[in-house]
Amino acid sequence: MIAPFFKYGLFGDDVSLVVAFITGIGFGFFLERGGFNSAKKLAAQFYFTDLTVFKVMFTAIITAMVGLYYLSVIGFVDLSLVYLTPTFLLPQVVGGLLLGFGFVIGGYCPGTSCVAVATGRIDAMVYLGGIMFGILVFGEVFPLVSNFYLSTPMGQITLPQLTGLPYGLLVFLVVLMALGGFVGAEWVEKKMASKKAGASL
Amino acid sequence: MIQELTTTRHNELIDPTLQIWGWQIPIYLFIGGLVAGIMIISGYLVLKGQYKKNVFSCFYLPQISLILLSAGMLALFLDLEHKLSVWRLYTTFKITSPMSWGAWILVIIYPVLFLNTLIRIPERFQNVIPLFDRLSAFINKHPVLIKNIGILNMFVGTLLGMYTGVLLSSLGARPLWNSAMLWMLFLVSGLSSAAAFVHLITDDAYERELLAKADNAFLTLELFAFGGFISGLLTSTRVHIQAIRLLLDGSYAAYFWVFVIGLGVVVPLSIQLLAVNHKIKHSPVAPMLVIAGGLILRFVIVFAGQESHWTSGWIR
Amino acid sequence: MSLQVEKHPQPYWNPYVAGIGLGLVLLASFVVMGRGLGASGAFSSLVTVGVQAVAPIHVAHNEFYSEYIGDGTKSPLKDWLVFEVLGVFVGGFISGSLAHRVTKVVEKGPNISTRGRLLFAFAGGGLMGIGAKLARGCTSGQALTGGALFNVGSWAFMMMVFGGAYAMAYFVRRQWQ
Repeated sequence: MIAPFFKYGLFGDDVSLVVAFITGIGFGFFLERGGFNSAKKLAAQFYFTDLTVFKVMFTAIITAMVGLYYLSVIGFVDLSLVYLTPTFLLPQVVGGLLLGFGFVIGGYCPGTSCVAVATGRIDAMVYLGGIMFGILVFGEVFPLVSNFYLSTPMGQITLPQLTGLPYGLLVFLVVLMALGGFVGAEWVEKKMASKKAGASL
Repeated sequence: MIQELTTTRHNELIDPTLQIWGWQIPIYLFIGGLVAGIMIISGYLVLKGQYKKNVFSCFYLPQISLILLSAGMLALFLDLEHKLSVWRLYTTFKITSPMSWGAWILVIIYPVLFLNTLIRIPERFQNVIPLFDRLSAFINKHPVLIKNIGILNMFVGTLLGMYTGVLLSSLGARPLWNSAMLWMLFLVSGLSSAAAFVHLITDDAYERELLAKADNAFLTLELFAFGGFISGLLTSTRVHIQAIRLLLDGSYAAYFWVFVIGLGVVVPLSIQLLAVNHKIKHSPVAPMLVIAGGLILRFVIVFAGQESHWTSGWIR
Repeated sequence: MSLQVEKHPQPYWNPYVAGIGLGLVLLASFVVMGRGLGASGAFSSLVTVGVQAVAPIHVAHNEFYSEYIGDGTKSPLKDWLVFEVLGVFVGGFISGSLAHRVTKVVEKGPNISTRGRLLFAFAGGGLMGIGAKLARGCTSGQALTGGALFNVGSWAFMMMVFGGAYAMAYFVRRQWQ
């Protein structure tokens, strides 16, 4: 096994920042290509009129998931060296809920707001200001919420470890689920489009 | 101070990190390069007869340069240890001292820039000092004088641009600066910043197009100058290799590759190449990146240079 | 010779193609760095630096901020996520310019004023900031990265994001429709 390259010492911390910059360019490029710089397009996901968010996100997830699984099976990548954020179930559930509210109210998420700012969206600049204000608020009240923040710790845990199912089987199931989701998404979009056309007649 | 630096203290056992030069020197080097570039560009445009136009950026370029240069001189003055002794620089001339050269080059620059402003005195300053108005009228009656002012500006500008690099190269104590490419690099970088600056402020479509194209040429040249600078040091002695590796994969790598090469050269060059080929619109983003990149280049070279040592090769 | 280029914005890519591109960037990040993508962490560093400049002692006593300060030997801004997010801005700008999609505009539906939309944007951003910190990541760091790694917390998080957004959508529909 020779990857992850950074973990095997192929380059140091300083060069990793250059890698970060280049990775970010790719990330921002494809986010913009997918239409994630438009709050209207992003929010349409939650009114079933344009399911681009779901499609792009799950295509990306299964691409990276299958690719990583393949590379670990052939012995190229050491999966255990890929960093996994530890799970703290309850705060993550509540955080996810707040983030979902923020998503549909504000129209962006942090990553997409960056490409929106880069392409001149003024609401995204205000939104980014809001994010930093939110982080500041969280930082200031942190001593009060730190107990909750650290509650229900589960450590670094993956679905295969939790369920006992083989990694490969889960990859297969998620891909299947995503493909089913894509078919469903196309169907919903068509249905909403015809409904809109019908309403305007 | 320089005397001490070059004789006894350039050794990390005495000063592990010797940061004698703070923000003033990089700012000064940047402004010096920028003014040099503006002088060359405005001199060239004067020579090409652009001054006959009504709206022409060169009518305020020399004025802006005068202000910029004074700001740069202020930065340099703030860096001096013995501020009251500044006049002593002008009581002597040492042919081997780049500091002495620099002090005197600056004395030539002010009058040359001033002559350039006389080609067209801004309306607000017309009829204020009769002598200037008469001089201006005299110059305008003799086009050959105007051309010579253009040439003089280009020549002195080149000297100033080269000098900002030579100043560092002459300090033998810092291996990163021991490169014959440094003056080239700073001159080209100053030119590209200046072209970007004029591109940013001009109202004239012809000039904008011309300078965007010129900037692309300067940025491309700059990449070659970087290539020469890096390969020159990499094929030199071990201390020089260690010095340049501060930029390539050492503690300045992130700033060097991301801000200087990436955001300062490659990204604006790609944007402007598309813009001059009419694939995308001209925007202020590319020139602003070029100017910021030029500024950060001076900071990286000055700071990384002060961290490079002759001793580190064999002590560690 | 016309110097003004007036070009219409090009349509976005097919979402599946963009998704594969995004997935490959994520995969490359796993292979090269051994970590995924992120976004909100960079802004935490930025906020930390800001607060530190104003109240350094306050920051040192706060566990949230001190996590971003580290051992204090280097600036919190010399951080992987900060440089990555810088790249996101650049990549977004490059892609947008190539497709003539860079325009100064406020994204909103027809039934809301610009001022109202900006207020919503700020409020949404605030909620997002708090949520992302509580969840230890945002849509990029948790849903996308953790999703591809089968991270348990990330999948729970992702479900809640979609759930929360769909639940709230009805109440803010005037903003978009």
